[in-house]
Amino acid sequence: MSKLRHLSAAIAAAVLTACGSDSTTSTVASSTTHGTLVENPPFRTASLNAASFAAQLSANTTGAQLLQITGTPTCGVDFYYIKFWTVGGAGESTESSGALMVPTGAAPTCSGPRPIVLYGHGTWVDQTGNMADIVNYAATNDENLMVAATFAAQGYIVVAPNFAGYDISTLGYHPYFNAAQQAGEMIDTLAAARTALPNTMSSATSDSGKLFITGDSAGSNAAMATQRALEAAGQAVTAAAPSSGAYALEAFGDAIFFGSVIYGSPEFAPLVTTSFQRAYGNIYSATTDIYSATYATGIATLLPSATPIDTLIANGALPASALFDSTTPTVTIPGNAILSAELTAALAVPSNPANPDTPLFEAGFGNPYLINNSYRVSYALDAASNPDGAVPTPTAGVPLAAVAPTQTLRLALYKNDMRYGDWAPNSPTLLCGGDQDPEVFFSVNTGTMAAFWSGLPAGLITVLDVSATPAGPFAPIQTAFQQAGAAQLAFYMSAAGGSLTLAQAEALLVGSYHRGVEPFCALAARNFFSQF
Amino acid sequence: MTKFALRALPVALLSLTASLAWADEIPNNTVRIGEYWVFYHTSGSALSGPFIPPGEDLTVTVKNVQTPYLAYLRRLSTHFTAELAFGIPPLTKTYGKGPATLAGTVPYNGQELSSARWFAPTLSLLYMFFDESYALRPYIGAGVNYTAFFNRNSTPAGDAAAGGPTRVELPSSVGPSGTIGLSYRLPHNWSLSASYSITRVITHSTAITAGVVRSSDVSFGPQAFVAAVGYSF
Repeated sequence: MSKLRHLSAAIAAAVLTACGSDSTTSTVASSTTHGTLVENPPFRTASLNAASFAAQLSANTTGAQLLQITGTPTCGVDFYYIKFWTVGGAGESTESSGALMVPTGAAPTCSGPRPIVLYGHGTWVDQTGNMADIVNYAATNDENLMVAATFAAQGYIVVAPNFAGYDISTLGYHPYFNAAQQAGEMIDTLAAARTALPNTMSSATSDSGKLFITGDSAGSNAAMATQRALEAAGQAVTAAAPSSGAYALEAFGDAIFFGSVIYGSPEFAPLVTTSFQRAYGNIYSATTDIYSATYATGIATLLPSATPIDTLIANGALPASALFDSTTPTVTIPGNAILSAELTAALAVPSNPANPDTPLFEAGFGNPYLINNSYRVSYALDAASNPDGAVPTPTAGVPLAAVAPTQTLRLALYKNDMRYGDWAPNSPTLLCGGDQDPEVFFSVNTGTMAAFWSGLPAGLITVLDVSATPAGPFAPIQTAFQQAGAAQLAFYMSAAGGSLTLAQAEALLVGSYHRGVEPFCALAARNFFSQF
Repeated sequence: MTKFALRALPVALLSLTASLAWADEIPNNTVRIGEYWVFYHTSGSALSGPFIPPGEDLTVTVKNVQTPYLAYLRRLSTHFTAELAFGIPPLTKTYGKGPATLAGTVPYNGQELSSARWFAPTLSLLYMFFDESYALRPYIGAGVNYTAFFNRNSTPAGDAAAGGPTRVELPSSVGPSGTIGLSYRLPHNWSLSASYSITRVITHSTAITAGVVRSSDVSFGPQAFVAAVGYSF
């Protein structure tokens, strides 16, 4: 038996010798304080060298066009999926996600200390959008590829939130145009990304300390609000370049409610009202206060959605374009027949044949429609009582932003208007966009902000209209944008493009103008940032 | 004389010689020590989960291993013996099988992705042919295998392919095992044995990388050849 005991001991020793520990994954933060990175190091979704990224982009039409604009990648890009804690529109602690794109490669501009570009994405109706997912890039309207190609593949570290309400977020809504939330989330994403960066598999690239802020469309509001918040906190912003943004929200809202209905407005309206209802709780008592009975049910939780927008429209959840009732409301202001008549006329379906935008605006009216006439009138009455100095035309001597609106939606727009608080940037800022933009009116937004900041030191604010006659340092970009538009128009009129008439082709171009501006303004932003 | 008979003659002589030396008392306990040569026949479902490029069939292969073999046998009757056998837990390495690169330019196919040690005891009931007077006794057996995986490690290449530091989860497996073998009794209670066994080891492999969970069902299909020396008491 003694031999058996010895053998048993030997076996046990052998087994124990073989014991060790299992490999572990990222550390999960126990804190839910906003700005905390949840998993450190973060998950790398993809790693492409410059050649493979170029090849991937070239493999489809959209990517190939993008390459022509942004130029051939000089760096590889590692894409990381970061999750972090932030705060929702009503102060809720919530988990959100985004992308950290890190340039890689042997070239000196691809590793070592590199500047950070903090990017705010435009409006997404697709709830599944994820800036870190370059396989399902369509859910981001191709924005992640555009940002990666424009910035990361040229040596900039890119930090881009998906924003609460999207991807893994369980918030249940997106704090759309909520300036404080959006700025806070952008800053939280930046903090999380800075925590993550040294621990990634791309640690040869580090933060140089330079911070550039940009974004597109709704993300431009986020970008500008972030610039404002960081500067207010005394943190350095190297430069900013928001593009195609709805900065002058109150003026923009006034323009829309008075009939200049933007392209795609039925998608934007529920996002705006839900966001502000969650933040302020006073936009409506019931959704029928704003929305017609046809669409009111379920609209507060409709967007963003994993269901494609075309399906939602086909299922009758939203109208295709009719934001307002085609029957003009009659405004009655007791004791003021003249103003009543003026407002009634102002709310009529636009019909000026001399205005090339009339077909666009007319499409915003119909039946069934999204927004009730009674709500539209309440908004218009407030605008009449507390006019915005920027619309319909900037008024000399009148403060550009309204003073204390009372209608709750208009008040919410006012509070989130970039003119609110008389803020002006301290860091060099490029405002890029296109004057023919049918979704975010250039003159009402970029033009208003340029006028609002016209007294700032020369050179602090630069305005670029990609549709204007090419001139100055950005002339090549303006020329390229206009050539791309002409080429697209020619394509639509060719046999391959459907042999459309000029009018039909121009109508199609209207629908793609806003997104068409995006990569050209991003390129302008990169050129602008390269000065610093 | 046929070729078969010529080949069988030396074996029969050896058997007779050993049986003549066998004592009257038949020991009931035997311990064996030897060597396992394990040959894996890996199959399974493609990896599933987030961030797997559509259309990519990502599977793994496992490299064959060799490890010391240990066993305890208890004689139950003339023809039946219980065997508890296991190997010193071998370090088993897993290699990527699929596209050359993954997630862009990260090498995958043929890369050593992970490793794990196996503790895989098998309890079998052996049927021994002939009786104890024969030195050379073939046997067959059936039993149940329990496999526990530990030291589950993702390699740097595995981490790169997975997207970051990865925890590998491999739940234990219980499956049937079959064996066929020969034992040859030597003088002074010693013996030699050789066997070949087939075991079903199936697990649900899970890789967790920064909260991203991906998994697949893996059948390792190990087959093992054993050569051992035994001592009975």
